[in-house]
Amino acid sequence: MMYAYGLEANPYPSSPTPTEKDARILGGKRHKEAKGAIVQCIKELNGKIQGRDCADNDFRVITVIQDVGSGKTHLALHIKNLKGHYNTECSFVDLSTISPKTMPGIYNAIIKGFDNGFFVELRAKFLSYIGERAEQGDGSAKKALNYTMMNRLTGMTVKEKVADIISGKEVPPVEGLKQFLVQRFSYHEAAFIRSVITNSFEAVQNLEEMIGMVSALSRLSHRFLGKITLLEVDEFDGNRDSIEFVKGVINSHLPACVLLIISTPSGYAEVQGANSSVFDRLEKANYKIDLAGSNSKEELAEIAAEYIRHNDKHGRFTRQMEDELAGKIQVLYEEFPEFRSVRSVINILYHSMEKSSQMGLDKVDEGTIDDAIRQTYPGLRVRGSIMDVPISDFIAIRNNFGAPSSDRDLREAVRNLTSLAEEMGSISRIENQNLPLDILYQDPYGARVGLVVVTGTDGKESLEGLSNMAKSAVVDKLVILTDKRIPSPYNATVVNVDKSKLVDLLYFSSKYNDKKIGQSDNARAEMLAKTLCII
Amino acid sequence: MKEEVLQSIGSAGVQGIKKAELKKTFGKESDDILEGLAREEKIFIEKKGAAYFVWTRDNYILHLTENDPKFKLILNMLVGVSHSVARLKDHTQNLREEMERISLQDDEGRISDFETVFDKCLREAGTSIGWTPFSKVREKICQAGDLSRERFYLLAGDLVERNRDKYEISTGGQEGIVIRGMVHGFVRSV
Repeated sequence: MMYAYGLEANPYPSSPTPTEKDARILGGKRHKEAKGAIVQCIKELNGKIQGRDCADNDFRVITVIQDVGSGKTHLALHIKNLKGHYNTECSFVDLSTISPKTMPGIYNAIIKGFDNGFFVELRAKFLSYIGERAEQGDGSAKKALNYTMMNRLTGMTVKEKVADIISGKEVPPVEGLKQFLVQRFSYHEAAFIRSVITNSFEAVQNLEEMIGMVSALSRLSHRFLGKITLLEVDEFDGNRDSIEFVKGVINSHLPACVLLIISTPSGYAEVQGANSSVFDRLEKANYKIDLAGSNSKEELAEIAAEYIRHNDKHGRFTRQMEDELAGKIQVLYEEFPEFRSVRSVINILYHSMEKSSQMGLDKVDEGTIDDAIRQTYPGLRVRGSIMDVPISDFIAIRNNFGAPSSDRDLREAVRNLTSLAEEMGSISRIENQNLPLDILYQDPYGARVGLVVVTGTDGKESLEGLSNMAKSAVVDKLVILTDKRIPSPYNATVVNVDKSKLVDLLYFSSKYNDKKIGQSDNARAEMLAKTLCII
Repeated sequence: MKEEVLQSIGSAGVQGIKKAELKKTFGKESDDILEGLAREEKIFIEKKGAAYFVWTRDNYILHLTENDPKFKLILNMLVGVSHSVARLKDHTQNLREEMERISLQDDEGRISDFETVFDKCLREAGTSIGWTPFSKVREKICQAGDLSRERFYLLAGDLVERNRDKYEISTGGQEGIVIRGMVHGFVRSV
C-alpha cells in the first residue's frame, strides 16, 4: 500500500495526543528553537557537573507555557527521546492522568515515567559497586550479595555472583542489602538502591519522603551513570497537590536535575491565583521556553512538511509539492478557526493521507482534504456560503485569489449569474450601447439597471465616471459590485463582494460554464443574485 | 376615424391645423371626435385670429413655449427652480459622498485607535511569559474610554482575527473571545 508522495507509510500520527514514537519527528522553526533552548540548558548543567559530585545548586527549572494543541507535549516527548544524545535520563509525568494527585500517585508516575532500561542499567551499576566492595574485602558487601564461604570454596568469584544476581538467577538477601547500604548511603539513597536492586518500589507516604527518593534518584543517577535527570511535568495547573509537589521539588534543589514544567497560560494563571510562592518560583525559572508563533500558518506548514520529509526515503517530495501543501494548509488556517493548531492540522493530514492512499493519488489534493474534513468535522461548512461550496472547491478557489485572471473571472461570474437570472425570467438584458457598464438590464419592475464590477485594479477615475453616470438618466439604478470599500455614488447601490461571496460567485460560474447547474443550484443562485442586488 | 383625425393633427406639428380643414377632410362627424379628444386632453383647441386651430398635447406645449410670452416666463422660472433643485440635489449628494468618505476614514481611524490602545495596554499588563488575561486589558481600556465589555470583545476579536500573525490567543479564563465555542481568555503579542 503506497501513500501520497511515494511514502510507504502514513507519516502523520493519528492519536489525539502525541506518543513517544510520534515525537521522534520534530518540525517547525519555533519548535526547533525551543528544543535548542532546552538542550542548551541540559548541556550547560552537564558541563558544570562533569567530573565532580553534584550539589544542591546543580538544579534548573524550565517552563513551557503555551496554548493547548500547540505541540508542548510533543516537544517534551521529543526531548525525552533524545536522552542518549545529551546524557540524560528523563521521566515524563502527565499530571492529568493521575487521580487523585496524591504523593504516592505522583511518585509512582515519576518512576513509571522513566524507561525501564534506566533501572536495568542502574541496578547493574549498583550491584557492580557492591561487588567491587566485596572484592576489596568488605564483609557487609559480601553479605549484601549473599557471597558465602561455600561460593568461594566452589570457585565462584564475586563477579560471577554479581552476574547471577543481575541476570536474575539469584536474589540478594534484603536484610544483608539493607545493612550494607545503610552504612554507606543516606536513608533515602539506601531505600532507593534497595528498591532498584529488588525491583520493588514501595509507596511513599508523604511529600518529604517523595522528595527524598527523587533526590536520591537524581544524585545516584549522576554518581553511577554520570547522567542528568530530566523531570518533565505536563499539564501543570492550579491543583493544590500538583502545586505542593512542584514547590517541594523546586525548594529541595534536586541535584543534577532539570525540572521541565509544561502548562497553558490558563494553568499558569491558576497557579498565580492559587499559590503566589510557587508562581514566584516559576517566574524565576532558569529558562522560559517561548513557543510564540507555534500555531502560525508557516509553522504548521513546516511541521506538516517535516513529517513527509522524514519518511521520504526516495526524495520524491519536491519543493513544489511542499509549497502546494503549504498553500492548502494556509487556506485551511485562514478560513477555519478549527485548523489553527498543530494537533488539528496533523489530524486532517493523517486522514487525507489515508484517503489519498485508498484513491491511489500521488499527492494530497483538495478532494482528499475535503473527504477528511467531512469524516472528522462532519458539521463543518464554509462560513456564509450560499452556494454550499464544498471545502475542496473552496480551497482550490481561494488558492487562486490574487491571480492575474481573478478580475476577469469575477466579471465572467457576474455575467454568468445575470445570464442565469435572464434564463429564469427575473431580468431582461438590454444592449449595452458602449456605456461603461459591465451589464445593462431591465429588472422585473421595468427599471433600467446598470451593473458594474469595480475591483482593486480600477482607479479613482473610473469611480468618478460611475458617479457622473449615476447622476445622469442613462440608468434608473446603478449596482456596483466591489471588493473595495468605496463611497456609494448618487443613485447607486454598492454591494461589497467579500471573500465568501466571491467564492460563491466563482464556484457558481465554474458550474455554469460546465453546464452542471442543477435544480437546487437554481434556487441558491437566485439567492446569490438577490444578495448581490442583481435581482 | 378617431385615430386618423389624431394623426392628421399630429402631422401638422407646432403650427397646428385649422378646425375647418379637419371638417373639410373628415366631415361633420369630426366635431364630435374633436370634442372627445379635447376632453381626454389629447388635443388642444385655441382661437387664433378668426380661425380655430388644433394641436396635439406635445405640439401645443411647444407652440406655447415659442409664442406665448407668459407661458415662456413661467416655464423659465420653473426650469430655474428645477435647476436649483438639481444643483441642490447634486450638492447634497456630494456632501453625502464626502460624509461617507469621512465616515470610512473615521471607522478606520477608530479601529486604528483601538489597536493602538490595545497594544499599549497589552504591553503594560504583560507578564514574564508574554501572556496576558484579556480581562486585564479590557478593564484598562473600558475604564479609560467609553467602551462596553461587549464592544471591547467585538473590537478585540476583530483585531485579533485581522492580525493573526501579530497576536496569539489561548483558551481558558472567565472571559475573552469565543472561538469554536471556547473562551479564549489570554492574549499575547507575538
